[in-house]
Amino acid sequence: MKLSNWLVQGSQLVVLIGAMAVAHASPTLYEKIGGEAKVRAIAEEFTAAILADDRINFTFAESDVKKFTQLFFEQLCNITGGPCKYSGRDMHEAHAKLAINNAQFNAIAEDLYIAFDKVHVPYYLQNRVMVMLAPMQKDIVKGRGFVAPGTTAPPR
Amino acid sequence: MRRLSVVTTFAVALGVMGTRCASADNLLGADEGKLHLTAGFSDLEGAGGGGLVPMAFVSGYGSNLSWGANAHFTNIQLRDLHLYTYGVSAGALDRVELSYTRQELNITDTALDGLGVKQDVYGLKVKLFGDAIYGQDSWLPQVAAGAQYKHNDGINHGDAVGLPGLINPKQLGAQAEHGTDFYLAFTKVFIGQSLLVNAVIRETKANQFGLLGFGGDRHRGYSTKPEGTIAYLVTRKLAVGGEIRTGPHNLGVDDQSNAWTVFVGWTPTKNLSIVAAYLNIGSVLAPVTTVTRHQDGPYLSVQAGF
Repeated sequence: MKLSNWLVQGSQLVVLIGAMAVAHASPTLYEKIGGEAKVRAIAEEFTAAILADDRINFTFAESDVKKFTQLFFEQLCNITGGPCKYSGRDMHEAHAKLAINNAQFNAIAEDLYIAFDKVHVPYYLQNRVMVMLAPMQKDIVKGRGFVAPGTTAPPR
Repeated sequence: MRRLSVVTTFAVALGVMGTRCASADNLLGADEGKLHLTAGFSDLEGAGGGGLVPMAFVSGYGSNLSWGANAHFTNIQLRDLHLYTYGVSAGALDRVELSYTRQELNITDTALDGLGVKQDVYGLKVKLFGDAIYGQDSWLPQVAAGAQYKHNDGINHGDAVGLPGLINPKQLGAQAEHGTDFYLAFTKVFIGQSLLVNAVIRETKANQFGLLGFGGDRHRGYSTKPEGTIAYLVTRKLAVGGEIRTGPHNLGVDDQSNAWTVFVGWTPTKNLSIVAAYLNIGSVLAPVTTVTRHQDGPYLSVQAGF
């Protein structure tokens, strides 16, 4: 058999294996977490945790809480490979007026971890979501001013 | 003993202050604004890190707009050695870390049973660039530069081992009783894998952390020594891992080898951290004592602060 035949057959084999791999593609992170019901529950617990968190809940003073929950669900669904489109503004734009600082960003991260725990998502899966959210820090955090002791207002 | 009572008082005060500022109300501008575990633990030289190896994290839970501080007590019972360390550290603006640690070593077995050494370690660390947590879209680690000035207070109780004249590590061949380590720490948390990786490169003259002085008859000057940490994050408050630290072999009377740990680090709240570890520092003064077995045993560290 000629070399070119070997190459043709070899490449056919590669294509076949590739097709099998696609057919047996591992479930998305969205599915691993537990699909729509679980991701919606996470979004609801997340909103609840933020509202209960004095470090950060002032940012929700004028927010439509239901809309936030829906948008966060969409975002979480979308980044974890679920069948959703995020219909909200980009992170930079959405947080432009809030002047959130690092401590407040971390408070939000903690609230999300709490929400994941509440609906029993294992920690290693939580982190597979967190790794995608962490770089948003540079879009969200702008606060450079010093927060005076005891204040709950964002720095101006 | 006065140092200990000062540190103890500081620890209690920090504990009380820490509890009070666990709410949204800040105390003296301390916001406890960093994520759990990212203040590190106080290592046996007082630097924010693990048990044996520093990391690029800045000690304390203050964010980049705030500050934090803590006190620690560490008890290490190795086969023939007991090492007790305690100290304080403070971090400002998530940028600069200052620390002071007192180390008290007592030999509890072998021909040198009864001998003691005390040392003060003053540490400074500055975060240079990068972010171990947020920079998940980049390979760049968080990088910090540190220095540790160590002053050996000398050797006590030489008379207990029939060497009443032995009062200074220089008599063991060391070149000096004080020295400064310089290090660079590179720390990265791979969040998706729940994995922390830390590498350190240290310029040092210290013999057994400086407890046996600095420089020696075999090698006088600085050596470049690598160290590293790897840890798996079991939860956001619990890490398990291991560390290795290489050291120079400067003294003829001591076959210094690598030191290593396996550890569990737990931060139930930002006001309390606990490290339980197994520590092995290899043989100590084997050519003198003819005891070549490794000095290993439990390491327990408790840290309070904010």
